[in-house]
Amino acid sequence: MQPPKPPKITAVEVIAAQPTEADSAAIAHLSAELNRSLPQVVNVVKVRLKAKPPATSMGWALYVNDVLIPKYWEYNDGIYFTVLDPQFFAEHKGKRLRFSQNGVDFYDSGVKLPAPAAASKSKSKAAKSTTARLPLQADVLK
Amino acid sequence: MTSLKNPASAGEVQFDTFIYGAPPLAYPVSLSQYAIYNTPDPAYITGRINVSAFANLGASTPWPFSNTNVPLNGHVCVPHGRGPFPLAVFAHGNHNPFENSTPGYLYLCRLLASHGIIAATIDVNFLNGSNFGENDGRAIVHLEHLKQFRTWNNTAPHPLHGKVDLNRILIVGHSRGGEAVGHASFFNRLASIGGVLLDGSAGLGPYRFGLSAVAAIAPTDRQFTPVSGPTVVPDSYYLIHGSQDSDVFTFEGYHTYERAHGVDLANPTVSDGKFRAMLWVHKANHNQFNSIWASETPPGVAMPRASQEEIAKVHLGALAQAVLLDRAEYMDVLRDHGAAVAWDPAGAEFVSQYQDPERFFIQHNQEGLTVPVVSLPVQGTVATDNVVATRQLTALVGGAPTTTITLRLVWSALGSRLLLRVDPSTLPAQLYKPLVLRVGQSTEANNAANRDQDFTLEVSSGSRTAAIPASSLHRLLYPDAPPFGPAKIVMQTLRLPIERLVECGVDPIDLRSIALVFDRRATGTVYAGDLQCSN
Repeated sequence: MQPPKPPKITAVEVIAAQPTEADSAAIAHLSAELNRSLPQVVNVVKVRLKAKPPATSMGWALYVNDVLIPKYWEYNDGIYFTVLDPQFFAEHKGKRLRFSQNGVDFYDSGVKLPAPAAASKSKSKAAKSTTARLPLQADVLK
Repeated sequence: MTSLKNPASAGEVQFDTFIYGAPPLAYPVSLSQYAIYNTPDPAYITGRINVSAFANLGASTPWPFSNTNVPLNGHVCVPHGRGPFPLAVFAHGNHNPFENSTPGYLYLCRLLASHGIIAATIDVNFLNGSNFGENDGRAIVHLEHLKQFRTWNNTAPHPLHGKVDLNRILIVGHSRGGEAVGHASFFNRLASIGGVLLDGSAGLGPYRFGLSAVAAIAPTDRQFTPVSGPTVVPDSYYLIHGSQDSDVFTFEGYHTYERAHGVDLANPTVSDGKFRAMLWVHKANHNQFNSIWASETPPGVAMPRASQEEIAKVHLGALAQAVLLDRAEYMDVLRDHGAAVAWDPAGAEFVSQYQDPERFFIQHNQEGLTVPVVSLPVQGTVATDNVVATRQLTALVGGAPTTTITLRLVWSALGSRLLLRVDPSTLPAQLYKPLVLRVGQSTEANNAANRDQDFTLEVSSGSRTAAIPASSLHRLLYPDAPPFGPAKIVMQTLRLPIERLVECGVDPIDLRSIALVFDRRATGTVYAGDLQCSN
């Protein structure tokens, strides 16, 4: 038998979306922890894959360079994760997305987190429009 | 053990099996396997819970609900009689969400129910898919099912009113569900997780159940990590995993096991009162613990499914008998898998570990990556004779780096030895039943392939010495070749009865030295864990 191979990323995009009720609660909690106000925006990072990893238990942890993305989810064309603090993009822009199963051996996808312009653009758009004008996450993930 | 009945044999208690669920659930055709939960037994209608703070549902599976209102679905086997009965609740792990994983543990539920245990297997399929990090959500779902049983227990005239013993609960999880039961054990004591209240005010919690033990079948580890750090399971912990597991192929649960009930360096003699036990099953794979899941290994690689299910029934059955039904004699199976040899499939090979709540470390090796020492409060010295003894943070079982130090012992001449001299006034061996050591061999070249390793354990008091072959206590198996990746070094617990030392003339009140004498194999490398007196 062969060990599982990491997923291949074909594209990454960041789309600002409306927070869900749970997101809003998490934003409030994070704002209090960080002692700074966070926008009522959820940045959905869609990671398009050549093929989704099988639904097994071991799974592949996703990293932006050395930073673990604690949770990601499945959509039709791949996986996605959400970012509540825009500072994340300021700190990790341009860093490579990597997969690992043990936190020691990493597989570089060769794909970078979208440039800050993309994220900033989303953030800027969000700032100019009301949260209600942002798309629903369910629509972003279609 | 001959007086004990095989815990895998059905008991004499009659029981009924019910579906419980939260209709209406308009499952589409592609999810028709779940339609059974839309017509639960009328007495077993449940509610929905909001897990959106923990998990999203896979967007490519057309669930007829969102993460704000997931159903509490399951199958429960309820013994006939007045009760109260202990409760065991099983949860599956990650798998194709279009296949219902839940019924895969009914074979275990039926066994336990026949012995007078309410046993359920729960639906967490909506968290399945190509996702990652959702195991806190799985834990919350598991705890909410326990809460449902508490509600029924407290509700007249529900059929379960007064029938659930909420202080005797066993939670069992497989795969990611196995990681999740560890988190559930941790969350069970919390009033909140981050900003999420678990006091019932927002629908989740309160919990604080009396968990007798937590059992993990081939679990993952640290896919979810609390902000406080990797979960340390606070309840008694049982772990079972197969050497041919081709999904969780790095024995992740061993890291969970090592974190649970380890030595507190500030208070090394203080125990948290819980046990931990582990069973490593040669030739078992991942999926065959669930009767629904197709085997993930090619034909001939793993043992037959029937054998693997039988092993699960024997050992989880023994655990349930011991912790839920107060049949303490079944703890012998946890202490030493050899106690179940008559019940396990012929030829099956195992490695097992057990740490009793009552233990007194002589050498735990966790002081740091220094030269080996005798551990405080025991006073003594460590000497080597032709043995290279090195403390290492070796990942014995693969996967993430370990935080548990083991002692690597390498010898290349017969008669080599590791000698611990101790001050008998600091070692109350007479208060304990066995002297306990964990040892396992590696696949390094100085261990003959496919041959058991062996040495002599010499224990002395004054002029009297007992020389006990390790092989008389247990086999030290050569590691089973895994489906891929390096072989795992799994240490076997050796339990040398103090009584046997006394029979050899050794006085436990005056125990002065313990030596590992490598006089039975000319060369070798073994890894040793903690040396302790125990019960």
